[in-house]
Amino acid sequence: MAEPMPDLPETTLDAPLLPDGLARIATQGTPCPTPVFRQSHLHRLADRWTHLLFLACTLLVVLLIGGILYFLAARGAGAFFPLAGNTDKVVTFREVFLSTNWDPGDGHFGIVPFIAGTLAVTGLALLVAAPTGVLTGVFIAKVAPPWMRNVMRQVMDLLVGIPSVVYGIFGLTIILPMVGHAWLADAPAAGFAVSAAILAVMIVPTVVSLSTDAFESLPSSLDEGSQALGSTRWQAIWRVLIPAARPRLLTATVLGLGRAIGEAMAVQMVIGNNPQWMLLMRQATDQTPVLRFLFTPAATLTTELVQELPNTASGSTWNNVLFAMGLLLYLMTMLLILATRRLGRQEHA
Amino acid sequence: MKIRSLVLAAVAAFALTPAFAQTVTVMGSTALGPLVKQAADDYMKSHPGVQIAVSGGGSMTGLNQVVSGGCTIGISDVFATPAQDKTGIVNHNLVIEPFTLIANPHVGVSSLTPQQAEDIWTGKITNWNQVGGTNVRIVRINRPTSSGTRAVLQNTVLHGKPFSDNQLIQDASGTVAKMVASTPGAISFIELEFVNLYKGRIRGIAYNGAVCDKQGVGSGKYTLISFGHAYLNPGKTNPQVLKVAQDFLNFILSPQFQGTTVLKAGYMPVSYVKQLKARL
Repeated sequence: MAEPMPDLPETTLDAPLLPDGLARIATQGTPCPTPVFRQSHLHRLADRWTHLLFLACTLLVVLLIGGILYFLAARGAGAFFPLAGNTDKVVTFREVFLSTNWDPGDGHFGIVPFIAGTLAVTGLALLVAAPTGVLTGVFIAKVAPPWMRNVMRQVMDLLVGIPSVVYGIFGLTIILPMVGHAWLADAPAAGFAVSAAILAVMIVPTVVSLSTDAFESLPSSLDEGSQALGSTRWQAIWRVLIPAARPRLLTATVLGLGRAIGEAMAVQMVIGNNPQWMLLMRQATDQTPVLRFLFTPAATLTTELVQELPNTASGSTWNNVLFAMGLLLYLMTMLLILATRRLGRQEHA
Repeated sequence: MKIRSLVLAAVAAFALTPAFAQTVTVMGSTALGPLVKQAADDYMKSHPGVQIAVSGGGSMTGLNQVVSGGCTIGISDVFATPAQDKTGIVNHNLVIEPFTLIANPHVGVSSLTPQQAEDIWTGKITNWNQVGGTNVRIVRINRPTSSGTRAVLQNTVLHGKPFSDNQLIQDASGTVAKMVASTPGAISFIELEFVNLYKGRIRGIAYNGAVCDKQGVGSGKYTLISFGHAYLNPGKTNPQVLKVAQDFLNFILSPQFQGTTVLKAGYMPVSYVKQLKARL
């Protein structure tokens, strides 16, 4: 804030001084506006240093992302290739990425249940959160009266800030017993249904905030024009506003998805964390397939990482496979972000 | 591998710098951590000039670090692996950790025979009415595969047999207690102190006719116990620091500390098992 202000006199003073700069050096004794000159010199130096500082910060971020990727890859690769630091045997890609049997004590490291679990729980959460979030966004931006708009915006901002562990405790102590008691005749309700519901509640505020922004940033001529052409409110929203805001709505959804896919604490508390959930589903016969799927205790990449990583010996196959799982999660998130960036850009063009 | 060696160098620097100031670093089990921290505070009061820093990380972290020389004392709920034992680390059993089977209060069962308990966890028994309780499905709440508590349960109750796959898994003891309190038909396995913390909401289950308490463990009737371990690495520790660490462990093992603070923290003096062995 303070910096641009002294810049003005500097440039105005600099211009007349520049031609006789040589003369000033020759006649050093003569009084000249050196304080001003010195200050501007310092200023320029400060500018340069600040520039370097910002550059360093930017590079640090890039370095950090690259470093984490390298670290995960180096440790994860130890699961498949005999690297220095390995204290255990290696496994093949087939045994890890194509097997549903996770039993590290017995030497089985199939991570398909975790990948499927992550995809299922985030997919279900998004199925609930995306439509709800976008429609709430439309409501706040285009339908609600101004006082309500203000209240809703503040509520959404508050909800974004609630720590995930709070959602988790809420799910564990209230939702799980309630659902189990009401629908499942006192069987435990832990599984995809409750964790997806909790995740959906967690990401709806993100989606709402961003889609409200998307709708508010649309030129009002779109809305007015379509209504002038005789469309109803609903037609204007459905046929004009939502298509026009689509790239930004997509971004909103993906940011919500990003939050969901990486969430560990809240999910871990309500999902039941059973790595053998696919086996369990095959064995169970007492419920309809859909119900069985929704209420089988399952596990995801994040929940398994958060529970096992601190307790496994570094250099063991088990530990290395967990790092490979972390790398996979990282790459999944990266891919997601890159894909939507490209998608959003295409829509713009 | 470059990053790895950098990290190792940083850890080594951390370990070496305080070594000059007579600092003993303790890492590992989060369950044993509070007790060792309490012991460190007491010890430092009576031994000015000695610094003891206690941090967590989990049992396996403690063992890994003491093997690599990253800390002076590695505390753990489980024995070191055979590979780790070969590196020359030395075990000290600090305390007895009593564990107990717990259940939701509405299951109508307060005692299980060893056979019943084993059959419940292996999946042979699926309803509480098969062991004299109410007609409620049994919900097994276990720990993650890498957990020390799970290893104790498998060694003592299941005699090494595999668990049923039909189970819920939770890591933290507090969460386990909460889940047992709120899930009808739930059974789990937990440190004794949590039974008092969640009094009325969960029920401790007697095993083999013995209740998990001071008398049960002391008389040798109650067998679901494990040791809290402290490992030293004489090969990779400054001799002076090693001497201090050894003295600190002796302080924890002294009858005075074992008889007061250890009992208050929900653990039991390690001498209980020595008596037990003498009787056997």
